[in-house]
Amino acid sequence: MLRRILPLVAAIVLFGGCGLLPSDFPADPDGTLDRVRTEGVVRAGASPRPGWVEVATGDPTGREPELVEAFAEDLGAEVEWTVAGEEELVRLFEAGEIDLAVGGFTDTNAWVDKVGLTRPYVSTHVLMVPMGENAWQSRLERWLDDNGGG
Amino acid sequence: MRPGAEPGEGGQRFGHTELPPEQAHALRRAKRLEVVTLVYMASAVAVVFATAGSSQAMKTAWVEDSLALVPPLAFLVAVRFGHRRPDADHPYGYHRSTGVGHLTAAVALLAVGLLLAVESAMSLARAEHPPIGTVQLFGQTFWAGWLMVAAMTYTGIGPFVLGRMKLPLAEALHDKVLYADADMQKADWMTAAGTIAGVLGIGLGLWWADSSAALLISLSIVHDGWTNLRHATTALMDERARTYDDEHPHPLTRRVDEVLTNLTWVDDSRSRVRDQGHVFHVEAFVRPVAGRAPTLEQLEAAVSVLSDLDWKVHDVVVMPVRDLPDTIPAPD
Repeated sequence: MLRRILPLVAAIVLFGGCGLLPSDFPADPDGTLDRVRTEGVVRAGASPRPGWVEVATGDPTGREPELVEAFAEDLGAEVEWTVAGEEELVRLFEAGEIDLAVGGFTDTNAWVDKVGLTRPYVSTHVLMVPMGENAWQSRLERWLDDNGGG
Repeated sequence: MRPGAEPGEGGQRFGHTELPPEQAHALRRAKRLEVVTLVYMASAVAVVFATAGSSQAMKTAWVEDSLALVPPLAFLVAVRFGHRRPDADHPYGYHRSTGVGHLTAAVALLAVGLLLAVESAMSLARAEHPPIGTVQLFGQTFWAGWLMVAAMTYTGIGPFVLGRMKLPLAEALHDKVLYADADMQKADWMTAAGTIAGVLGIGLGLWWADSSAALLISLSIVHDGWTNLRHATTALMDERARTYDDEHPHPLTRRVDEVLTNLTWVDDSRSRVRDQGHVFHVEAFVRPVAGRAPTLEQLEAAVSVLSDLDWKVHDVVVMPVRDLPDTIPAPD
């Protein structure tokens, strides 16, 4: 039984995949990248971390907020900031209310099974993205490869 | 071969049973293939582990590949032990080592299969969206899913070939561990294909494709485990000897009574044939014509007629009786 189902599923996805592959691959299950492009807004979260994310009055500043601003500009979008603690940012990700977050996070942080992490853009430092929004995550990682280091 | 053990024809034996050339050849080939399997699957385990990332299907495939190391190990260990001659403490020899290996492999498959099925069902129920980003390799940046597809293609090819090569050897050697191993490997390409489908599904934004593939794979592991557990257990419980694939009662179980009944001094015969792992243990009760006790020569001739039936008929007891024992059911 199972041995007849598995190849069938494989065939369906493979053939289906070949037809759809060129457009947007990998794709976002929740369409984050498309939404950012059409609405022109990146909803970013920031958690204060000296040296990476400085929060005083107004929008966050520092190395990582500047990266986010530049990435948004590259997509032709504005940044809408939410400043909160890490735990609150994770909740916002799970509720689908933010698109990325900065806070001097590293690739060993404890939220790894609740949020997506980009490939480290400098030493071990990563940005948080929603879980499984792979087009969005891949777009951000490629951009960081070219603009994130140094 | 142990030092001090004199080689027979082909230099291979199970206990005190010398293997005919065909079986000796098959055994040497099977041992070589199982070593190749171990090396190949170990490399597959490493490759899949390195690329698995957050895909549930990849993790499941990784565990299945690790489990694929158990049957070849069980086979090699069992053959090593089964090779020993009977000694004072082990008057039946070490043939049952095959059954022990078979049972061990089956329990491992079943337990891990169930664990994985629960895990994949839970990630499906929680609607987890597996993240797969990009990787940088040799100065190229590409989607990490492609790396997984490549890893699973590599992992799928070996078992497909090895399983098919081992299947005829399992029949020649009447080795159920080897059969279980070959049969599972033959179907392993579907695990690889299923995993690839899951990963490509993620790429298409179908988050559920991954955990669904993982669920199907783990159910196929459970299926393998359950089938093997049933066969291993019944063999250890001295079920009537069956063919290497457990499909039918072994034809030798019938031949024993036919051959004995054809002897002039035998009126009727009733036998028990059990599979000790590779070789059979035969106990035959014969009713002589007109209740006349057979001579020692006649009994010895009866034993050697049975032994000549097949190399697998290895341990034979022929017992003359006044009435066939009614505790042994007649074969259907």
